[in-house]
This record gives sequence, structure tokens and C-alpha cells, in this order.
Amino acid sequence: MTITEKLEIGVAPRRIEDVYADLLQDKQRVIVDVRNRDDFARWRVDGRSSLQIVNIPYFDFIEEEDESVAQVPAADEVLVVCAKEGSSQYVAEILQERGINATYLAEGILSWGGLYDTRTVVDAPFGKVIQVARPARGDLSFVVISEGQAAIVDPLRHIDNYLQVVHDERATLTHIFDTHAHADHISGGPALAAETGAAYFLHPYDAIHPLDMLPATLPYNYLADGQTFQVGQFTVKVIWFPGHTLGQVNYLFTAPTGQTYLFTGDGIFLRSFGRPDLGGRGEAWTPILYASLYERLPQHVNDDTLILPAHFSTLDESAEDGIFAASYGQVKEQNEALKPRTLAEFTEYVLGNLPTFPKEYVEIKRVNAGLIQPDEELASELELGKNICALADA
Amino acid sequence: MSVTFDELLDVKGAKCPMPLVKSRKAVNNLGVGQVLKVVATDRGSVADFQGWAKTAKNIELVAQEEGADNGDTVYVHYLRRTK
Repeated sequence: MTITEKLEIGVAPRRIEDVYADLLQDKQRVIVDVRNRDDFARWRVDGRSSLQIVNIPYFDFIEEEDESVAQVPAADEVLVVCAKEGSSQYVAEILQERGINATYLAEGILSWGGLYDTRTVVDAPFGKVIQVARPARGDLSFVVISEGQAAIVDPLRHIDNYLQVVHDERATLTHIFDTHAHADHISGGPALAAETGAAYFLHPYDAIHPLDMLPATLPYNYLADGQTFQVGQFTVKVIWFPGHTLGQVNYLFTAPTGQTYLFTGDGIFLRSFGRPDLGGRGEAWTPILYASLYERLPQHVNDDTLILPAHFSTLDESAEDGIFAASYGQVKEQNEALKPRTLAEFTEYVLGNLPTFPKEYVEIKRVNAGLIQPDEELASELELGKNICALADA
Repeated sequence: MSVTFDELLDVKGAKCPMPLVKSRKAVNNLGVGQVLKVVATDRGSVADFQGWAKTAKNIELVAQEEGADNGDTVYVHYLRRTK
């Protein structure tokens, strides 16, 4: 048995930002995750469906080096990932010695969990739409800028990312819009409001925890269906879209040119839509979701409306540019979940494709209602892994 | 909890993968049936030693416990060489 103890060979670490760019461009084809099997099962780096990711714990390399090396898929370059960094460097050096071109992820899987990716979706004379993604969670949020005014839709917990964008755009944050009370992640809305004094908006139906039946204890401004706002040159209209939650809304931003942008939250996604069971009332909420999808939504959009959702399930939903947005016309074509169905067919489809209900989601909704205040460790723990807000693939 | 052991390995301060690498070497130097006590400060060692013992050829994880050492939390693992 060979046991390598000294780390002698130089293997270069790779930054997560560079790895993410390669994942989007389908250049990173093989990842070897050397964490233990339980940790790997909980969460991992996600790429396009073409990415090969294998779990070979580092202690397998220590026990059976030959067998473990033989399990590594052939590739031009293999990225090794572990919890922090040390074990992936250790394994990358073993692979390098064996003639396999290996690198390792700097700071381990935590760097993937903490990655925020900021990209400009729209840059027009009347304003900008900037996407702020947290790829490990499949979470999307947006900053809209117009005439020095900024609005944020569905901000995530690490609010410095948004303050930076607003600062870089030399804008003043005036509106913080949550599309709904999120179950999969802790909202950055209340913290941004406290930090900047901007108003935080939420529909009142979502300010009651659906399982506890307890009202929110944090300050927010009520939204009503049809309510309008002005953000620079954009007119913003609130469209009530119940189903995923009872207080889910979509925000329709209309530019002076007539171009519209619909921030759908967990209403429709590019390839699916938000599941109706996270409030514990899937059967009762499914017909409400049906009415939102098939009756309410078409009244407010046209084929050119840009759909900007709060989640993606796979990097395949984005082009190489890393932007997760598409016209409503495109979404209708590519989204199997939106194809025409009767209510009976829809109910059968939805209730037959509900993924697991992560137990953390009940707790996260408590955080978002201000009912509990987690410390950083608990907040990170609650937000581990990818969101499961979409209906499963049929 | 007190588990009888034959050898003691102190890997406090060592980061992954070193607690496990050194434990492997130390187990190789045990006689069959003997027990190694490993004292680590790396919290990740708890799950990793469990995973390792499941597939390792000649190791039984007899017990794990948490303790304190000069204000640091330590993770103690008892490994028996089975063959």
C-alpha cells in the first residue's frame, strides 16, 4: 500500500469564478468529488447535463490507490473538489503523478456555495436589468436601475452583493420587492431595508406562516394586486399569482418603449413552474395555481415579454452567457410544464410530479416571517444545496 | 466514555486529509486486534472516519467521542485493526 504523505508536486488551485465560467461554456467536463458519500449526496457542484461528476472519497485513494485512480473518467483536465481544500490537493497530486492532468478547487465546496455571479441582462437607454445569481442554489435575483433609482427583486441573504451593484451604478435603492415568502432561502429584503431605509414589499397573504398560522413579526409594506410603482422610467405593476404561495406576485416592469419584463419569482420558471405544495396544501392550491398560469398570466404578457424567474434547476437553462431569461414566446415552446392541459390533467400532472419536501423549508419560512432569527451557522446549514421549488421533471 | 486503547495518535491542528493519512499509517503499525486512539481538532474527521471505516480493509471504528482540550473541541476516534 502506498501512502503519500508529503505534498511535493505543484498542482494549481482554480478559483470558483473560473470554474463557473468553464461550466457554463461546457469546458469543464469532469469533476472528481473526494468528500465522503453522505456529504456528496447532500450537495455538490452542478454543471450542464454533459458534466461528469463522480464521487471517490479521498480515503478510498488512501486505501486503494490503483482502483480509485482507475475510476477517474478520462478527460483533458480533471477538477478535484473536497470540503475545504487539503484533500482535493492531495488527490490532485496523486492523479498528477499518474499522468492525469488534475487541478483542484480553491477553498473547496464552500467556495461554490458562496459564489455570487453578477451579469447585465438588459442595458438600454431607459435602464438596466442586472441578474445576481447564486449558482449553487439555483437562485436568481435582479437589480433594476433607471435614472439613478434602483429596485431589487428577490434579494438573497448576502446583501453586500446588491449594495455593490447599486453603488457601482451610482443609484439609490428605493424599492425592495419580494415576489413571495421564500421557502428555500432566507430573503435579504428585510436586512437591505434596515441597511438602506428603502421600502420592503411583500404580499400580506405571505406574511402569515402557512403551517404555523402565525403572522410575520418583521416590518414590511403591503402589496395589492394591480398596485403600481414608478422606478425611474419603468412602470411597475403588481400581478397577484397565487399557487406556489397564496401571496405570490409577479412584477411587470414596462419600459417607455413598451417592452415588458416579468419578474416571475416562483411562478413560472424557464422550464417548469413553482410547486404548489410547500404550504402543506398541495391539493387545495393546485386549482389556484392553474388559474394563475392559464387565466391570469396570459392577460399580462405577450410573446416578447422577457421572463426573469427566481430559480433555475440546471445550467442547461442558460446559454454560455450565464443569463437565465427568455421571452415568453420561447418559454411557452420549451416549457413542458406549461403545455395546455385541462384542470383535471393539470392536477394529475402536478400531484404526480412533486419532489421531496425538504424539512428545512418550514424553518426557512419562519425566518422569512421574522419568527426566528438564525445565527450564521444555522443560516448556512438551512441553505445547503440546491433549491427544490420547481416541479420535478415529468 | 472510556475505551481501552493500545496506541495514541495526536493529530490536533492537522487538517484534512492528514488526520486520516496518519491514522492509516498508525493502524498499519498495530497488531491485529489492537486499538488506536486518535485525537483530532478537524470536525470533518467525524464523518470521514465513519465513511472510511465502512470501506477500509482492516479497520473497525470502535467509538467516537467529543471532548475539550484547552478550550478547543477535540474529536476522538478509536480504531481497531481487524486483520
